[in-house]
Amino acid sequence: MTTNVETVIAPVEPQRSRSLAALTWRRLFKQRNAVVGMIILAFLTLVAVFAPWIAPYDPVQSLLGVETLKEREAPCIHLLGCPEDKPEHLMGIDANYRDVYSRIIYGTRVSLFIGFSTIGMAVVVGAVIGALSGYAGGWVDNLIMRLMDVVLAFPSFLLAIAIITVIGRGLQNALYAIAIVNIPVFARLVRASVLSIKEQEFVSASRALGANWLRLLFVRIFPNALPTLVVQATLSIAAAILEAAALSFLGLGAQPPTPEWGTMLGSERNQVFTAPHLVFFPGLAIMITVLAFNLLGDGVRDAMDPRLAQVAKK
Amino acid sequence: MKKTSMLFALLVALSLVLAACGAGGSGAPAIEDEFTALAEFEGLKLDAGSCDYGGKVLSIEAVDELTVVFTLCKPDPAFEAKIAFTPFGIQPQEHLARTGGSGELLENPIGTGPYMVAEWDRGNQIVYTRFNDYWGEAGAASTVTLRWLTEGAARLQELQAGTADYVSNLSPSDYATVQNDPNLQILYHQNPNVFYIGFTNTAEPYDNVDVRRAIALGIDYQRIVDNFYPDGSEVASHFTPCGIPNGCEGESWYTFDAAAGRALLAEAGYPDGFTTRLYYRDVFRVYLPEPARVATEIQAQLQENLGITVEVVPMESGEFIDASTSGNLTDGMHLLGWGADYPHVTNFMDFHFAANNPQFGNAHAEIYGPLQQASSVADVSAAAPLYAAANNAVKELVPLIPVAHGAAAHAAQASLQGAYYPPFGAPQFNFLDNGTDSIVFVQNAEPISLDCADETDGESLTACQQVVETLLEYGKDSGATFPELATSCDANADSTVWTCHLRAGVKFHDGSALDADDVVASWSRGLNAASPYHVGNTGSFDYYGYLWDSFMNVP
Repeated sequence: MTTNVETVIAPVEPQRSRSLAALTWRRLFKQRNAVVGMIILAFLTLVAVFAPWIAPYDPVQSLLGVETLKEREAPCIHLLGCPEDKPEHLMGIDANYRDVYSRIIYGTRVSLFIGFSTIGMAVVVGAVIGALSGYAGGWVDNLIMRLMDVVLAFPSFLLAIAIITVIGRGLQNALYAIAIVNIPVFARLVRASVLSIKEQEFVSASRALGANWLRLLFVRIFPNALPTLVVQATLSIAAAILEAAALSFLGLGAQPPTPEWGTMLGSERNQVFTAPHLVFFPGLAIMITVLAFNLLGDGVRDAMDPRLAQVAKK
Repeated sequence: MKKTSMLFALLVALSLVLAACGAGGSGAPAIEDEFTALAEFEGLKLDAGSCDYGGKVLSIEAVDELTVVFTLCKPDPAFEAKIAFTPFGIQPQEHLARTGGSGELLENPIGTGPYMVAEWDRGNQIVYTRFNDYWGEAGAASTVTLRWLTEGAARLQELQAGTADYVSNLSPSDYATVQNDPNLQILYHQNPNVFYIGFTNTAEPYDNVDVRRAIALGIDYQRIVDNFYPDGSEVASHFTPCGIPNGCEGESWYTFDAAAGRALLAEAGYPDGFTTRLYYRDVFRVYLPEPARVATEIQAQLQENLGITVEVVPMESGEFIDASTSGNLTDGMHLLGWGADYPHVTNFMDFHFAANNPQFGNAHAEIYGPLQQASSVADVSAAAPLYAAANNAVKELVPLIPVAHGAAAHAAQASLQGAYYPPFGAPQFNFLDNGTDSIVFVQNAEPISLDCADETDGESLTACQQVVETLLEYGKDSGATFPELATSCDANADSTVWTCHLRAGVKFHDGSALDADDVVASWSRGLNAASPYHVGNTGSFDYYGYLWDSFMNVP
């Protein structure tokens, strides 16, 4: 008995060529956590951009003589029963008679700036150092990596404090300090990628075709090291914001009257029982921002390296 | 009756003769030795030779074991009030010689006080133990622990938790909490003080008097006092509080006028303001209870009223005091103040505006000239015109801006017996009794050192005061002076020679007996710049230089 097997060949859909970036975006949008992180970050970005329109008061303006206030006055929200004749202050008043809500809004600008600028600096410097180190090899690699080892040998926050002690306190110097302590992380990461990529065939082919070392490094090799860099950078932004807040909390970072969340938290840390709104709202703002970057960072990592995600799920 | 009296007198005389003779081989030589010792006592003498060196003290001489004579170049109306001040404490001559210059004195003072330093755990606490041979009222507790917390709320929490018996310097916002807590007691403090903004006039823009005047006009003093000071505080009309005689002679300080300030600043060449710094230390003081808040408020006011952009710079306390008092904060203003050490106008004016004080840059003869004249005038009303001239010159030249006179309070457990806070100095731990063998006292900062001849900050002086004593002491509730190591200090007719009689039988913590040489040696260390022991924490011995006009033998 024979059976005629009919082979049905389904029509083949034309394959759309997808770039790595498009694939990553697609995977990223499938990550629920990453989407939540992105939504929060988009919201924070809008708040930062439109702060002057959202904040009802100048963040550094003392309202003494403008309104009748008590120091560290609790939030007054009309919807929650605060008398209509009292001016509304959604997050209360601080020790210097400033509107906490306005300071939190403007603080978003400072925190996002801190996160992006410090990690931006660290990525650029770290990537160049790492790429050169990995590509050059030999004594150059040895020298650079031992230097990075020295920096990595110190706890990063302690090193940041030491750097600030030398160059002086202030937001700008805090940014430099945080960037410096993050450089070795990116340098090592890029070096490792470069070491593995530079031995691959497409690099050898380019070299055989006469590409010079700059082209090889920054056109052929470096773009292939980018995914790991992006993942690490996204995760590091959260840490950088936390470090900056901690430095400001200690009085080493942003100085008054800059509306920086860590500074706000630090200056009122003893009022946790008497005026809890002064520590609650800055703390909450830091927590939400850091959470958003962490969610996004995890999502980017999973999207760029699905194997890692599967390992993580197991 | 008369016969009985005569008989009694005869018997007494006879028994004395018998006692002297009956001592035989032991008694007679003892009397001889005593006379020999007195005859051989070669007291130390600190002698400037002449008054040409510019100071107030001509000589200090130990004329016998228990008598010291201070000879002054001119009458000093505040002599007794000054010598009761802690930096003029007495330590054994031998201890000074042994430790002088070695730095050991910074942590190991030896005095005659009711408590001895057992251990200083740097950054943590100082533990005192009771001195059992103390000449006065011994402490109830055998151990007293002195700790420090910079935050007022943290100090109060210690008190509420029962881990402290006494905390100094309540935050203004905590007054009500203490008053409403039946387990606690509040102790009000009446120490005259002033909070000021200082300039060093050796660098731009503060070398321009119009800039300084403009800032004086551009600050709303009332707003600061109303919103950042506790009840009872007041705007300063003069540098010295008005409660002190002659403190408020002369014109009152500038009143807030932002428009006039801006105009003056424009005339000075800064129509759009300038950028500067505002230095302060984040340490509670009665004159400045919340430094960070006040600094931020002044920053806001200067920006708003005068267009001056200010960066506030908190500094570590010791570093700040060193830098500000030596005139090194030239690129900005500094927030500092003064709590009275002794109840006399010289304590405010002479200290700050002396010719050799570098804190405000170049000293002004218009200010220190009248002050030098006034410091020789014992009569309060006769000195009044001189203090008026000095105060007017301060207003005209604005080396600093007096802002406020602060009110303060401290707190203790309700069960702590004898709790008090004197107007001058700090509470003596031997008067405190919590019914146990151990007392914990928490203040707002760590002492810089325990070599208080060379310290000026209140925390160091509080720590020293338990260990080292002075010739006279201040009262518990006033600035009046009372005998301490000296039973009396008597002046001659024109108050230029003061003879101090020391208390007999007083022992130092090392077991040695107090004598007049110890007094001369202790004073010599501070006053004589050529002394090999004229070495301390910074070596500036501020109070010796300022309160006695100059050091002897300055190289």
